[in-house]
Amino acid sequence: MSDHNHNINIEERFEFTGREKSALMGLMALGVICLGWTYFLGGDDKELRFWTNFLHNSVFFTGIAFISMFLLAAKVLAYSGWHTVWKRLLEAKAQFMIFGLVFMGIILLGTMMGWHHLYHWAFPEITNPDSECFDQIIAGKKGFLNTTFYGLATLGFGGIWYLCIVMFRRLSLSEDKTGDDSYTQHRKMRKVAAFYMPFGGFTSAALIWLWVMSIDAHWYSTMFAWYSTASWLVSTVALLILSIIYLKSRGYFSYVSQEHLHDLGKYLFGFSVFWTYLWFSQFMLIWYANNGEETIYFNGRMDMYPLLFWANLVLNFFLPLLILMRNDTKRKFGTLTLVCCLVLFGHWLDFFQMIKPGALHTEHEWHGYECAGDHSHDTKHIGEKDHHGDAHDAGHGHDSHDGHGHGEAHASVDHGHGHGGSTFKMGFTIPGFLELGTFLGFLGLYFFVMFTSLAKAALVPPNDPYIGESLHHHVGYGGGNMEGDSHH
Amino acid sequence: MSKHNEVLYGLYNDEEILLDAIRHANEKGLDISEVYTPFPVHGLDDCLGLSESRLHIAGFVYGILGTMTAFGVMTWVFTREWPIIFGGKPYFSAPAFIPITFELTVLFACVGMVITFYTICGMGPGITNPVLDDRITDDKFCIAFNVDGASSDTVNGLKSFFKESGAEEINSKTI
Repeated sequence: MSDHNHNINIEERFEFTGREKSALMGLMALGVICLGWTYFLGGDDKELRFWTNFLHNSVFFTGIAFISMFLLAAKVLAYSGWHTVWKRLLEAKAQFMIFGLVFMGIILLGTMMGWHHLYHWAFPEITNPDSECFDQIIAGKKGFLNTTFYGLATLGFGGIWYLCIVMFRRLSLSEDKTGDDSYTQHRKMRKVAAFYMPFGGFTSAALIWLWVMSIDAHWYSTMFAWYSTASWLVSTVALLILSIIYLKSRGYFSYVSQEHLHDLGKYLFGFSVFWTYLWFSQFMLIWYANNGEETIYFNGRMDMYPLLFWANLVLNFFLPLLILMRNDTKRKFGTLTLVCCLVLFGHWLDFFQMIKPGALHTEHEWHGYECAGDHSHDTKHIGEKDHHGDAHDAGHGHDSHDGHGHGEAHASVDHGHGHGGSTFKMGFTIPGFLELGTFLGFLGLYFFVMFTSLAKAALVPPNDPYIGESLHHHVGYGGGNMEGDSHH
Repeated sequence: MSKHNEVLYGLYNDEEILLDAIRHANEKGLDISEVYTPFPVHGLDDCLGLSESRLHIAGFVYGILGTMTAFGVMTWVFTREWPIIFGGKPYFSAPAFIPITFELTVLFACVGMVITFYTICGMGPGITNPVLDDRITDDKFCIAFNVDGASSDTVNGLKSFFKESGAEEINSKTI
């Protein structure tokens, strides 16, 4: 075990090649084209489609950046050693946070300026008891669901996350240069981590409520933050494994062995089950209690989005569970790559179905909204409440809105759908090509940021106190080595 | 009853020395009958050329059995044997069965694996297993050879192997 480490190149640096740059630039261009296409030529409700896609991908990738730092903090606090050889990847992944903040800032600006109607609670006059548009449920939540708090939380909490990420990265880089046996930087990193863990834990819950859960403004679930954070967590691990396998294929990371990937595979397996546990807990509590205002969330999704709803479970639970159950599948790069792609897409879909149905419903609220005033730049739908053609109304009946003439629109859900009979609608009930293109665009940017940051420092932190332990990592798997790993 | 074996064993102080000794023994083509360590030693299985344990396959089978038992029995009870409506739910309410199904899967897998493991290792209530040396459950690492009926040349060869490979003590015992 101890005889193979002498010749590793610890000074190894990642070189961000021109080919990679142009490939990722190409993906980003595709993303921009898709977003533009959606905005100008995206068909019915194209603005909504644009904004939901934008929010969906921004939240997804911001969350991955957040979780990257969260994993890093957890590892430092737990005196973990084995992650040291690939910890630069997590540091690099967390750097996307600044873009996440900019994107969420755009959403925030849109909420304030009325560019989009993603959030029901942001409708004008909705919390004014004297207005006929008064919504009592939303008014009851106005202390939390208001633009000021949304902005403060997004920029404030997110900003503090970013500060922690920057501080941590600086300490890590300075350790490369001047780290010695006093472990000054490592001690400071632990302090940053000790702050980031509880702070990030609580604030990420608040932000996920604001960013995603408040789309269904009447609905709430105490499990929601756990569930969506677990979704981020699995996606982060999947991206981490994919990055490591890619870097190994480029000839880097020869010392990140099957042993490390085996443990990361366990993460993928374990956290997939953890996600399912939370998904199911949320589902079953609501199903069992059978309160109309809660079940509406799942009722709409199961009736109107059956493909999404079940694909979510298949991709994110059954497939990783069955494929990764055996020990050796976690040590085969091909199998790992396949599962990572499946769950990454699966969790992206998960966020899709968290966001689209609620936003579509909110859009309908908007079209029937009488207090819209100047904001109502698209009034053609107002007269179409009993035009049953649209698959938009995702089965959201709203008891509190009976006085506003939404009854007929909701009834349409039970009647099936006027033209075509199909309930599928590209970009709304299932992701269309534009959604996939946008996803690839964000993925391109994400990797661009990551590779840029990765190229700035040594791939392995030479002065990390745990570097030796990490190089000797071994999971004690007795099945022999399968990918030509030369450990013994 | 149980056959008595003459065992020659050496005690080592450190797991690294033990691993080197095993590699040394492999090179010399010596037939190690057993290795005892106070804790799991990384890389030991590979060194000894042991194949992966199949205990977890048994665990999977027990788990599936638990899943089917729980889900099957609940389905039978609530739809055939004694249908009761709980909280306005249908007789066959799969989501409500999931937690118990999960619990029984875990329970069957755990209990089944424990029993299988004990059976394989010949352990159980009322069975006493001879121990070569008490210290191998504490701080010593042990390589044991079966020298039943072996010539004195062989035994001497093994002894010199122990000495070369850095064993602290060399003992023999009939168990």
